[in-house]
Amino acid sequence: MGRTAPTYRQALEERLKRWDSFGQLLTDPEDRAAFERIRRGTRRYIAQATYAGSPDLLESILLSALVDLARELPKRSGTGPPSAGTSPSPRGG
Amino acid sequence: MPDGWLIDITDSAPGTGVVLWLKERSTGRVDTRRLPWRPPFLVDGPSSLLDRVERTFAPDPAVERIERRTERPSLFDRRLRRVLAVTARTNFARRRLATAIDALGGYRALTLYDVDLSAPQLYHLAHDLYPFAPVVWDGAGVRATEPPETIDYAPVPIRWVPLETRFDGARRGGVIPPGAAVESVRVGPVEVKEESEAATLLALVRALATQDPDLLLTDGGDALDLPRLFERAQALGLDEEAFFLGREPAAFRPIRRSSSYESYGRIYHRDTAFSIPGRFHVDGRDSFLYGDASFEGMIDAARLSRLSLQSIARQSPGTCFTAMEMAHALTGGVHVPWKKNRPEEFKSLDRLLQADRGGVIFLPPVGVHGGVEEFDFSSLYPHIMVRHNLSTETLDCRCCPGSPYRAPGLGYRSCTKRPGLIPRTLSPLIARRLAYKTRLKDPSLSEAERDRYARRTKMLKWILVTSFGYQGYRNARFGRIECHEAINAYARDLIARLIPRSEAEGYRVLHGIVDSLWLAPSDPTHPPDPERYAVRMSEEFDLPLGYEGRYRWIVFLPSVTHGLGVPNRYYGLYETGEFKLRGVRSRRGDTPVLLEKAERAVLDRFAEERGPDGVQRAVPEAVERLDAIAERVRSGAWPIDELVMTHRVGQDPSRYVVFTESVAALRQLEALGVHREAGQSVRYVLRDRSSRSFRDRVTVAERLPEDDRYDPVAYVELLARGADTLLSPLGFPYPTLCERWKVGAPVVRPRLRSPEQRAQRTL
Repeated sequence: MGRTAPTYRQALEERLKRWDSFGQLLTDPEDRAAFERIRRGTRRYIAQATYAGSPDLLESILLSALVDLARELPKRSGTGPPSAGTSPSPRGG
Repeated sequence: MPDGWLIDITDSAPGTGVVLWLKERSTGRVDTRRLPWRPPFLVDGPSSLLDRVERTFAPDPAVERIERRTERPSLFDRRLRRVLAVTARTNFARRRLATAIDALGGYRALTLYDVDLSAPQLYHLAHDLYPFAPVVWDGAGVRATEPPETIDYAPVPIRWVPLETRFDGARRGGVIPPGAAVESVRVGPVEVKEESEAATLLALVRALATQDPDLLLTDGGDALDLPRLFERAQALGLDEEAFFLGREPAAFRPIRRSSSYESYGRIYHRDTAFSIPGRFHVDGRDSFLYGDASFEGMIDAARLSRLSLQSIARQSPGTCFTAMEMAHALTGGVHVPWKKNRPEEFKSLDRLLQADRGGVIFLPPVGVHGGVEEFDFSSLYPHIMVRHNLSTETLDCRCCPGSPYRAPGLGYRSCTKRPGLIPRTLSPLIARRLAYKTRLKDPSLSEAERDRYARRTKMLKWILVTSFGYQGYRNARFGRIECHEAINAYARDLIARLIPRSEAEGYRVLHGIVDSLWLAPSDPTHPPDPERYAVRMSEEFDLPLGYEGRYRWIVFLPSVTHGLGVPNRYYGLYETGEFKLRGVRSRRGDTPVLLEKAERAVLDRFAEERGPDGVQRAVPEAVERLDAIAERVRSGAWPIDELVMTHRVGQDPSRYVVFTESVAALRQLEALGVHREAGQSVRYVLRDRSSRSFRDRVTVAERLPEDDRYDPVAYVELLARGADTLLSPLGFPYPTLCERWKVGAPVVRPRLRSPEQRAQRTL
């Protein structure tokens, strides 16, 4: 009732449809999985993006995808940045 | 001086007055009073145009008189204006006359007021009366002995009887051929049946006179009993004086024809309506409010809205709310615009995107969770409207440029000097609901009292819910889209501020939908006190946050398309042992009993568990229960009446292009002489899902006892689909269940294409 503009949720789905053709030409299964991961990440933060109400749709979509990726980063790469002790020591010549 | 109740006011037959129906307290008899009453409507516009209206319409035979008055017709008017008060010769001609006058102003230059309020509605308001008012009467008039807002009023002794017609050679619920004769009619305890059909109909009139009910309750009476009874009476040559169901004769023709309409993207169907003066007819099947609020709630709404119980039974809660607004406006000296003349204000695109947003809706984490607490704001949106004085005429008013009430992020100001019409309408409703809810907590209440208060609370809940939606409805008389936007902005801001406060209190937010929150303790070994949290937040935010309860476990369900959580699909068990189910199959009206039973089997097993781990462990046993059901369905031994599916016809049946099950059902009904319109339902059993014949694909419910074959594989597949809803987040999704029960997903047949089309597609 009374809705004039599409909701963020609708606008996002519309944009994701546009991304479909990008995904169609991904041939490597890893690429495809990564692509799916990004798409999923964009949907995870619909409430937050709606609340932010940015006029720039892509800003909200990218921010959602980035937060989703950043949340996975520590899980994948261990606990933190590599310590000095593990870095290869320079070899004398 | 006699006393009793004013049960209804109706238009008098010639349209020049009203009939007051008075029920005497001591005898229970109903008397009538016929009074002249022709309320005028107002016309406002440029002076020259008003003169023209007067000159043109004064000699019109439909006009009784035109007077000049000075009024403040609109909510926005501060100064008196010169308007015309036009009285039609009959009340039935009001609208036609108003349309003609509006046309003279090009449908733009004139604003008309009070046109579509009914004469009875205006009579109530002009004489301080209301439906079901306790009244005393004498030669001088009828006077209410208490105001409509009274909370503790004595229940009105409405006498109601069920009415059910039986037709020759047809089973109720089966196909009743057009023109079928009336065999008998059950009225209350009496079965009316005579030698001939005409005699039966006349005996029905006598039975009604003897029992003298105030209300006839039917199950499908608008679609079947009333139209068929009048049709048969006419066919048998009985006239309006001989056959009538009200307390006095009335025309056989309906006051409203059947129609289909759309609301919130769904198609609905409204049946024909007949007037039975002096009595009410409530069709339990067709009345949304009867099912929830029953007579008690409907009477309460009638009192406050000044609408007849008959209108309340047939209309939506939104109509009740609008009528309440109108009543408040008119008693405050403001008139009701006929057509809303306030378009949305111009906004830039960025501004529109900012403003046009709803409440906060999170996606819950899919899976089973323990120790979750649920909190709900009670009537959040109405409270926001009252607290921030949000109303069509108070938003961005000229008198308060420095108002501290500003919608967060949008900046709409609201007036600090005059309470708006909407807050004035809502405040007493909120207070009333709270009073009933408080009463319900009293353990000494009798069963009848408890039911009465619960029904009234339910009715008020629906009215309060619609009060928000109507702000955004383009035709709502006192609605304004900016109000709708402001309410949402306040609600979003509230949730955003509540999150850090909840975290500081020791919770983490698991899920939230607009006015409800699901919180889990951050440290499960030291959970916060939920009651104390609710009280503290209510005080801090000055809005009533209620504690709904703690779940032993709750399962949030995933979306079929992307696997993330769906906001309003979950099921959980409160500590009290009560289930809360949302978006699962058994909550839907179209689900066959089979799926409800299957769901019950799973939930009964889960109900034994006290926590999420237990639920997870119980899954194999729950699936075994489903195995047994699947086996019985496959053997063909499942009771056929538990397999009936319901489908609402979404468009005119002739417009369907794809052959679906409901299309097969529609065609089967057509073959039996039954036509369904958009918004009506078809009920059928899947007979052979792969068949391309409408005769074999389904069996309509109307033909069931004759044909009890069903498609076992289709129903096992349907069972897998139903079970998937509950079990997919617990490791038993649809494909696993299909494999387990050895069924495949239904074959989607390729569309029939010509060889050329096929060749084209392979290119």
